[in-house]
Amino acid sequence: MSYSLDQARVFRQLRLRLVRNGLRVALEAGRVRLLTVLATSAFVALFTFGVSWYLFHELAINSIPFKGVIVESLFDLLFFTLGSMLVFSTGIILYASLFTSPEAKYLLTTPARADRIFSTKFQAAVAFSSWAFVVLGVPIFLAYGTTAGVPWYFYALLPAYLLGYVLLPGSVSALICLVLVRYMPRNRRQFLVLLALGLMALGTVWLYRVGQAARHSLTSGGKELDDLIGQFDLVRSGVAPSHWMTQGLMAAARGEFTESLLPLALVWSNGLIVYVLAAWVSRRLYRSGFDRIAGGGTGKRLYGSSVLDRVMNALVFYLDRPTRVLVVKDFRTFRRDPTQWALLVIFGVLMMLGASNFRQYYKADLAIMDKYAISLMNLCGTAVLLCAGLSRFIFPLISLEGRKFWILGLTPVKREQILKGKFAFAATGSFLIAEILILLSDAMIGVPPLGMALHALTIAVIALGLSGLNVGLGAYLPNFRETDPSKIVSGFGGTLNMVCGLLFLVCIIGLMVIPFHLASLAPGLKGTNAAVSPWVFVGVPIGVVVGLLTTVVPLRAGGQKLNGMEF
Amino acid sequence: MIEIIGATKRYGSKVAVQDLNLHVPRGELFAFLGPNGAGKTTTIKMLCGLLFPTHGTVRVDDFDFATAGDKARRVISYVPDQPYLYDKLTGREFLQFTADLYGMPSERTREKIAEVIALFHLEEFVDDLTERYSHGMRQRTVFAAALVHEPKLLIADEPTVGLDPKSIRELKTLLRQLASNGMTVFLSTHTLDIAQELADRIGIIDRGKLLGCGTMADLRKQAAMDGSLEDLFLAITAEESATPAEVA
Repeated sequence: MSYSLDQARVFRQLRLRLVRNGLRVALEAGRVRLLTVLATSAFVALFTFGVSWYLFHELAINSIPFKGVIVESLFDLLFFTLGSMLVFSTGIILYASLFTSPEAKYLLTTPARADRIFSTKFQAAVAFSSWAFVVLGVPIFLAYGTTAGVPWYFYALLPAYLLGYVLLPGSVSALICLVLVRYMPRNRRQFLVLLALGLMALGTVWLYRVGQAARHSLTSGGKELDDLIGQFDLVRSGVAPSHWMTQGLMAAARGEFTESLLPLALVWSNGLIVYVLAAWVSRRLYRSGFDRIAGGGTGKRLYGSSVLDRVMNALVFYLDRPTRVLVVKDFRTFRRDPTQWALLVIFGVLMMLGASNFRQYYKADLAIMDKYAISLMNLCGTAVLLCAGLSRFIFPLISLEGRKFWILGLTPVKREQILKGKFAFAATGSFLIAEILILLSDAMIGVPPLGMALHALTIAVIALGLSGLNVGLGAYLPNFRETDPSKIVSGFGGTLNMVCGLLFLVCIIGLMVIPFHLASLAPGLKGTNAAVSPWVFVGVPIGVVVGLLTTVVPLRAGGQKLNGMEF
Repeated sequence: MIEIIGATKRYGSKVAVQDLNLHVPRGELFAFLGPNGAGKTTTIKMLCGLLFPTHGTVRVDDFDFATAGDKARRVISYVPDQPYLYDKLTGREFLQFTADLYGMPSERTREKIAEVIALFHLEEFVDDLTERYSHGMRQRTVFAAALVHEPKLLIADEPTVGLDPKSIRELKTLLRQLASNGMTVFLSTHTLDIAQELADRIGIIDRGKLLGCGTMADLRKQAAMDGSLEDLFLAITAEESATPAEVA
């Protein structure tokens, strides 16, 4: 056996051992933890299935063809959005694991081949970034299958399609990551100019397509279906992998078995080719890219105070000075780590993109794409984004202070104050981001003032409640041994925190906004303008009380636990 | 074994190592000394192929890292100051992984694993997951892994940090023994006593430049003074500080 083939075997054995030992530890030491992870995944999958089933059922009630062009367009958008998110998330994870992880540094000093290290890291990054895609994607298509009545091979082909689809965005992001690290201009201004030019080119293409679509809608004399299809030109293009996915799955749903295989072959063959290309590139660029990162920059970089720090300081004016100092310290750490805030920016941009697309439907006066349904989706999306973001960034804050806690412990600041500072940081940031996202998207869609006010109040309760929960539970269930925040988040405390956060969201959205939306949606669908009953607002004060309790109780419990800790 | 010819490493506009020339023959124990930020770690990283020189050549066992890096890395073992172990592997599994990675035959692997386990007294914990190891246990396991594939060159960065006095004594004896058996040992340390006690030759680097290199006698001659390595080190580095730093 050649040495390179032997290396493939060695890394395969390594992964198997790591998985086997990890599972054994999970089963021996933390069954509750393992069950919580499984239960959370099952809960999220069931919830997605329920919501999807309800929405597909609504299509059936409104006589929208299941295997026609509208559902096809929705699937196009879904795959396009998920694919874009996979490109970003895999790229960020891969960058961290290839260029900054201690394991990469260790492996690069051994005779392990660069492409072998790359392929090991790539598989881990894709698995890490796409498990949510599978957990969310499978229930949506199962709900579609059960409501649309599809042949058995639709279900059989579904895993093959979903697994094949994660390969292509992952490989593309790996290529981008390697090339950027190796060739990104050292001069930041030069790089930013190039980036701006690239974005402008993309924007021009996009605007051109939107313009074409608008012109078409003006000349088609109210053919709404054509308008709708026109909006999806970009994602419906024959070269778009998201469209191959839709074509294949729709063909399988229609019972056209042979036609469903060609797109599957396209998805897999293109994914594999780009992967092989990325591995080839890694063989040539990975080591030199690592060298460039290690010796990068323009020498000594001076870090100082920034306007953003002063803005943050001003935003928490209601706190005493020592606590404000702690808040600004947390904010400074956050803003200096692009991997921390990049995902938030990506989510925000995608949501705005979605809202602007939905606005086109609204303008096209499509009854089924009712503004109430869409704004509710936006609210749910923002709430889930907050839940995920705070779990990822805020929950581990206390754990990460762990080894250095004595530094804070020696300062004349009470431990409750430290907790209060972290809560203020989380609540201020999440409140501002969420309110901006919700109010902007509502304004774009054209939600009436009453709906906007209700959304603003609900998202404020959610932001405060989730901040209290994350800071409180983070202090109550800290993990001081771990230094990697993603591992703290995927641990027992992090998982429990995520489940509690999701339950809190279901509770608040169910109490505060769902009754209003259902009451507003019904007359909208019937084409009337009847006023909603005041009874739909009964859940609002209850929701506010639940929000307050979710803020205060975990914070108090976390504070007491923190006070009793010895470092 | 080690040939560094005119190696310069720049980090942007900062010169970390400047025109370094160093030759370390087979079987020599070479100690590399220098203040913090002097360029020791950068030199070590170039020696194990983690970084490439901006100019110049780095060769190990006649393999140039620029053209035959994978071959060069097969004869090297590197023990960093903060060693890496897979948390979810046992010590024995890590030793096996290391031996497999270096393509050792299975029969020889078994013998060597048993040998290094005995050598570093790992018996009590070698079958536990490494996530439960103390710093000293980790350091001993990493040393065992470094020696399991019988390297020609051992590079160790601050190897005694975290070890108890008995382990330090044993490690010093072992390093000397390895060098006597023909292995080249490149040692970076701040513990001047260890360098003085063990090293055949000593290199002193400061601000990226090799200020002195040779036996204790050579260094004494260069500094024009008698005394311990500590005295010589302070004298040689102080001399450099007194002269204006070169502009990069």
